[in-house]
Amino acid sequence: MATVKVTEQKVILCGEYGVGKTSIFRRFANNTFVASSDRKSTLGLDNIDKEYVVEDRRIRLQLWDTGGMERVASVTSSYYKFAEAAILVFALDNSTSFHLLSQHLLDIVTYAENAKIFLCGNKSDLESVAPQVTDVEMEQFCEQCHNLISGIYKTSCKTGEGINEMFEDIAQHLVEANRSRMELHEMDKDRFKISYIDEAADPSCLC
Amino acid sequence: MNEEYDAIVLGTGLKECILSGMLSVSGKRVLHIDRNKYYGGESASITPLEDLFGKFKAPSPDESYGRGRDWNVDLIPKFLMANGLLVKLLIHTGVTRYLEFKSVEGSYVYKSGKISKVPIDQQEALSSDLMGLFEKRRFRSFLMWVQNMQEDDPKTWDGFDPFNNNMSALYNKFSLDKNTQDFTGHALALYRDDDYISQIAILTIRRIKLYSDSLARYGKSPYLYPMYGLGELPQGFARLSAIYGGTYMLDKPIDEIVIKDGKVVGVRSGDETAQCKQVFCDPTYVPDRVKKVGQVIRCICLMDHPIPSTSDALSTQIIIPQKQVGRNSDIYVSLVSHTHQVAAKGWFIAMVSTTVETKNPEVEIKPGLDLLGPIKQKFISISDYMVPVDDGLNSQIFISTSYDATTHFETTCLDVLDIFKRATGEEFDFNKVKHELGDEDQ
Repeated sequence: MATVKVTEQKVILCGEYGVGKTSIFRRFANNTFVASSDRKSTLGLDNIDKEYVVEDRRIRLQLWDTGGMERVASVTSSYYKFAEAAILVFALDNSTSFHLLSQHLLDIVTYAENAKIFLCGNKSDLESVAPQVTDVEMEQFCEQCHNLISGIYKTSCKTGEGINEMFEDIAQHLVEANRSRMELHEMDKDRFKISYIDEAADPSCLC
Repeated sequence: MNEEYDAIVLGTGLKECILSGMLSVSGKRVLHIDRNKYYGGESASITPLEDLFGKFKAPSPDESYGRGRDWNVDLIPKFLMANGLLVKLLIHTGVTRYLEFKSVEGSYVYKSGKISKVPIDQQEALSSDLMGLFEKRRFRSFLMWVQNMQEDDPKTWDGFDPFNNNMSALYNKFSLDKNTQDFTGHALALYRDDDYISQIAILTIRRIKLYSDSLARYGKSPYLYPMYGLGELPQGFARLSAIYGGTYMLDKPIDEIVIKDGKVVGVRSGDETAQCKQVFCDPTYVPDRVKKVGQVIRCICLMDHPIPSTSDALSTQIIIPQKQVGRNSDIYVSLVSHTHQVAAKGWFIAMVSTTVETKNPEVEIKPGLDLLGPIKQKFISISDYMVPVDDGLNSQIFISTSYDATTHFETTCLDVLDIFKRATGEEFDFNKVKHELGDEDQ
């Protein structure tokens, strides 16, 4: 274990069922896109790490997907715990998914108080065909949220457009936020995750 | 909901969530329903604080309690043994990645009106104020013997066969007095009564080893507690179940468990019926298939200070062995605080619990309450301890027992593993899950 440990920054995806959260997760994970017709859920996988370098500083974003719990029930409150950033996702061709964001925003500020919040309009490839949410509406939403939103993005998981840019920008925001928060983190280092000590030599983690 | 499942799980308490996770991981199609709007049932941590006061019909808390949503108050107090079954389940299922823990700072035992640190190694045994000078040496030899003995190597037994002699004989071998037996059996081996003394010694030896192995893991005490409260545990297992394909429904009343020829075939809510081969549930969903065998009293105490004589520990467990206060079952005191994100800054949550033995249970927990110092707010609950009268082998309805008064999860996990075995006919294969998860990480 000689490598320098870069702490993971938990980033969660929030939003209605079907807006493309898992597609964003897949683009982030292995830059693939699966059309809705032949989609099989990736059982057992709900978070993945990726390293970014911002101004010579390394940062690991750990992206979390809801696991589809929001389909019928609600996402557990523990999904939000320890999150450093939350991405509010809606579909640009679905105004309902946009108008329901305030509920998701409320959950974020309740359960992940310190998380930086970002707004992401997905399915930009459909924007010209069936636009339902305009830039002005997105800006108004941010104003209504008293500037809680740290960044606005438009993405298309189908073409891959805007995805990398979004995560690079989020990484940048988190590096800046961390700089001013370093001391706070020092305070609470006696908490830990449990793991198998006996299997520390196990080379299963290639990430 | 009108679909067919292998299993329907009713209630999202910890036991049901572990089962749901295990079943989904084993490839079963699972529908998991709770009649409440929230996850966790009895194992939930109540938040915000206003909800806790409301639940016990108390007037709303004043501003001295800080922000209501900084509180997450457990209804059932328990700690995890660092080397215990629940930790094994968490690791093997990968649920550990959803949680963070802190070590519980102190483990104490009550003797003659005072509390003392539980001595766990040879050094502490020698400096402990629980025993006289000669008794300390005898206890030290006992501890060394337990630590050195290997079950499969009779050479390490030093002439004492732990499989064919009872615990009383082992105590006699080391001439340990009644007081030492008391904290060994109750604070180290964590027995609730004295029945163990007449059982074979190996059972108690294993428990003492579990205690010391747990302690060796993270220091300070053998106990762990999750950040944001115990309610995080069922949620973690629910998530596991969901990412393995389990479907979740909350706020869904259950009107009928549909039986055909003595066997369960489905669950009905309103005019919707989901079909299934098996049902797993807590006792509250099947009142006609469980019986009451006792009661547990639990008292939640909100305080603005730590427990006196515990070196200001921010988390503690105190065990009051039954004999010390003339009872048949132990009294447990546990303390967690703002350091675990379960209370507002400067606040502590103590819980006193025990198995009810008299008509006046509130008097029974007095020795525990007396240790706490001033209490700002107290909430008492007395719950029935229910066990299933149906083992599920014919009906295919598998019912968990209520949560007992113990302050750790060992009995909880044993119940879950037993139910899993009864329902599937096989032991849960811990290794299977781990490897599958490992593969997907690649």
